Amino acid sequence: MTALLQASGITVSFGSVQALAGVDLDVRAGQLVGLIGPNGAGKTTFIDAITGFVPARGRVMFDGRDISAAPPHVRSRLGLARTWQTIELFDDLTVHENLAVAATRPTVGSSLGELVLGRRQRAEQHADDAVALLELAEFAGRMPSELPQGKRKLVGVARALAGRSKLILLDEPASGLNTAESLDLGQRLRRVADEGVAMLLVDHDMGLVLNICDEVYVIDFGHLLAHGPPGDVRRNPAVLAAYLGGPADAAQQLDGETAASSAERAGEAQ
Amino acid sequence: MSEVIGFLLLGIGSGALISGVGMGVVLSYRGAGVINLAVGAFAMLSGYFFWAIRSGEFASIGTVPAVVLTLLFSALLGVAFELLVVRPQRSATPLAKLIAALGVLLALQAAVILAFGQSAQPQPTILPAGNVIIAGVPVAWYNFIIAGILLVIAVVFMALYRWTRFGLGTRAAAENQAHAMFMGLSPNRLSLANTVLMTVMMGIVGLLSASITEVDSQTLPLLIVPGLAAAMFGRFTSFSVTFVAGVLMGMAESLLLYFSTESWFPTNQGGPIPGYDELLIFIVLVVAMFLRAGKIPARGDVLERRLPAAPVPRAPVRSALIYGAIAAAALYFLPGGFRGALITSLISAILLLSLVITTGFLGQVSVVQLALGGVAGFAVSHFATNFGIGFPWAPIMGVLLAAVFGLLCGIPALRVRGVSLAVVTLAAAVAIENFGFGNTTWGGGVTGSYVPPPSLFGFNFGPNASLHGLDGIEPSPLFGWFVLIVLVLLGLFVCNLRRSGLGQDMLAVRANERAAAAAGINVQYTKLLGFTLSAAVAGVGGALLAYNYGSITADSYDTITALALIAFAYISGITTVPGAIWGGLIFIGSITAYALQDWFGIQGEWFTLIGGLLLILTLVQRPEGVATAMFYGPRPSLRALRLTRRGGGPPGGSQIADRVGEAKVAS
Ligand SMILES: Nc1ncnc2c1ncn2[C@@H]1O[C@H](COP(=O)(O)OP(=O)(O)O)[C@@H](O)[C@H]1O
Ligand SMILES: [Mg+2]
Repeated sequence: MTALLQASGITVSFGSVQALAGVDLDVRAGQLVGLIGPNGAGKTTFIDAITGFVPARGRVMFDGRDISAAPPHVRSRLGLARTWQTIELFDDLTVHENLAVAATRPTVGSSLGELVLGRRQRAEQHADDAVALLELAEFAGRMPSELPQGKRKLVGVARALAGRSKLILLDEPASGLNTAESLDLGQRLRRVADEGVAMLLVDHDMGLVLNICDEVYVIDFGHLLAHGPPGDVRRNPAVLAAYLGGPADAAQQLDGETAASSAERAGEAQ
Repeated sequence: MSEVIGFLLLGIGSGALISGVGMGVVLSYRGAGVINLAVGAFAMLSGYFFWAIRSGEFASIGTVPAVVLTLLFSALLGVAFELLVVRPQRSATPLAKLIAALGVLLALQAAVILAFGQSAQPQPTILPAGNVIIAGVPVAWYNFIIAGILLVIAVVFMALYRWTRFGLGTRAAAENQAHAMFMGLSPNRLSLANTVLMTVMMGIVGLLSASITEVDSQTLPLLIVPGLAAAMFGRFTSFSVTFVAGVLMGMAESLLLYFSTESWFPTNQGGPIPGYDELLIFIVLVVAMFLRAGKIPARGDVLERRLPAAPVPRAPVRSALIYGAIAAAALYFLPGGFRGALITSLISAILLLSLVITTGFLGQVSVVQLALGGVAGFAVSHFATNFGIGFPWAPIMGVLLAAVFGLLCGIPALRVRGVSLAVVTLAAAVAIENFGFGNTTWGGGVTGSYVPPPSLFGFNFGPNASLHGLDGIEPSPLFGWFVLIVLVLLGLFVCNLRRSGLGQDMLAVRANERAAAAAGINVQYTKLLGFTLSAAVAGVGGALLAYNYGSITADSYDTITALALIAFAYISGITTVPGAIWGGLIFIGSITAYALQDWFGIQGEWFTLIGGLLLILTLVQRPEGVATAMFYGPRPSLRALRLTRRGGGPPGGSQIADRVGEAKVAS
């Protein structure tokens, strides 16, 4: 089975700084893939490169097409959505309008109808679905800036979901959320993935990533360190060294997290 | 051909004045982050002051004390400008600051017209007379003196900014106000010092300009356009580049003047074509923009306020019926003068609607909208007089032509935005007014261009139609009703636009271009479409204005009126349809202005003066505009919301990197 996203040899330089050096990464349909790495490793830059927001070398295949040269909005329309670490909502539109913008593209025909007759023709089913999934209904009519930070993050995720996307790249969706919120978000994301929407989850929260992802990639200083199922990555010595400094306490910490999260999973199963 | 050298030297003096204004722009930008459209107006005010205390208008004192007093006056002007405009606007967006400076420009201009009248005054010169013959051309000494003085000023500023604590502090504050505070320097005091430096230098420019031009309300204020071009070359930061660019522009203008006497130079009605130097400045500015604008350093101010919210219209059809019915009745029952003023108000409202699209929805300030209206107006006139094409085909083609011009004006908006775009469209407006409308072939020249009244199947419904109002006086209410119907339809159109997917896309682009692209919006297409729609609306307004006047000149669509239009749009509310309509009702020539003149004898200039001052006040107190605030109720969260725009979160390394990325995409 060929992957939905096949990124090969992604290389990005900012002047003399090489932020990404030949990273290969695949995501298959319906898969939830994690991308972790220390601060400044190049995770955001990777998302920028895949979605067309920084010039990058290498090849990006998406859904059987080479999109390496396509501008961001074209990639988005092919089904490649993203969220932002800094949220980046449309501050001048209500939450619902934020999602509606992503859910449908106006055509010449629909615009004429709306402008001359004043009818609303946007099919907003997807926006409503996203609102329902992330339980944002009570905020739909509000302006984004009236929402607390955690909810704003969710609106960003909902906007990406509303776009009928095949793959969503999530840049640290759980940062700024508390532990309970973060767990809750993880479960919702898992559910979306199970419905067939693939996701690439970038996060600092190792517990979250290692628990819900099918596969995990680790980068540091723009280089791919390891990839594989969460269980293997967790025990990879190179990852331990890079990610947490010393292998000994790192392993301990990771094991601790694993223990905690399996307890949560057990609780969930009951 | 050796005369060329002489003519090049002749341009040094006026070029140095351009440099002076350009350096004033640089000072304002470095000191306060303002693209200060009022720089030339400060020079004008100082020039008037000097004239008034020398010539006997206020006093007649000797040259030296008069110079000292004038510079003192300039410094006080700087203090007032700092305290009343710059400081309250410190945390505003660059665009809001530019609009505030526009308010100052309009107010100062109106103030001197009220105080000293429209005609130019012979300001006594302070420089010695006398010529030197170079390459067979007598070149006045003052050219070299003016250039020398401004060169010294440029060098002093360079040294000041490079080596003194004040200069370093200003540079630090421009990057990050917190840095300056850590250095133990008060950003307030730094800003004040920069502003006063600027106004004093403009005082010097005002004094020196006496050798070249008489003092009037237009020449020095409009020197801002070439001044901005020079400053753009200097990326709004370099005094040396700005100085050189200004002098070169003056020399190029002088050379064009020399060429304009040659037989090969294109002519219009026996003279050289009008407006060629404005066209030159526009071209220079576009070149500067493409070469340099992307590299203009952004300033890191502590807070950032954005454009006012654009709320979704409530029950627009009902409002249209109620207010439409009131206006229709008023058009019949009001006495003639009031009826005419009401018609002008309705047309102004249409022009303001076009600003709602470009600025309110797309978030771009375009000064060129009124000139686009003029394109349609002159098209209506020339289609009728040259080709015998009348209503409705002439206005339809005129509106299409305006839309095409709007599309062309939108192209720079793909590359630059915000203040740079405002600057380019300002130069475009000046060029279209002088080069386009000033030309008798496709414009109106000074004598004007006839516009036959609109009629359909032989039925005239122009201002002179046979049906008269209750008092039996022209203009005909028929024309008023026609304008009213057009306004209602366009108002509903803009309301629909706000609610449509296209309008939401525009607001998404206005809020965040990166996120808009990530949501699948083609940002460039959306902008161009917005500019084209807006130009078409402006074209309708311009064509109606032409029918209203019956004969149009370049002055019918002049740049100062275009700037005033933006000012009133902001005052009333630039993001909503009610804002546009109420803006029309209080604009220059509106029914409100007419009433004040008729009942209290208040001159029109007072309107511009009050408008300019109100604009500054509105920007601070009610940024969403008075009418918008009235119609969409108090939005108490608005202010809080603006302050938290970027959200919380620790400013970690990658967040800063994201911002760097954003700045890159934005350029
Ligand atoms: N626009 C940019 N210009 C210069 N350097 C950048 C830019 N964006 C990111 N970087 C650098 O690239 C590296 C990777 O950054 P980033 O992708 O944001 O890391 P992460 O998201 O993993 O924390 C960092 O060293 C960062 O400083
Ligand atoms: Mg990041």
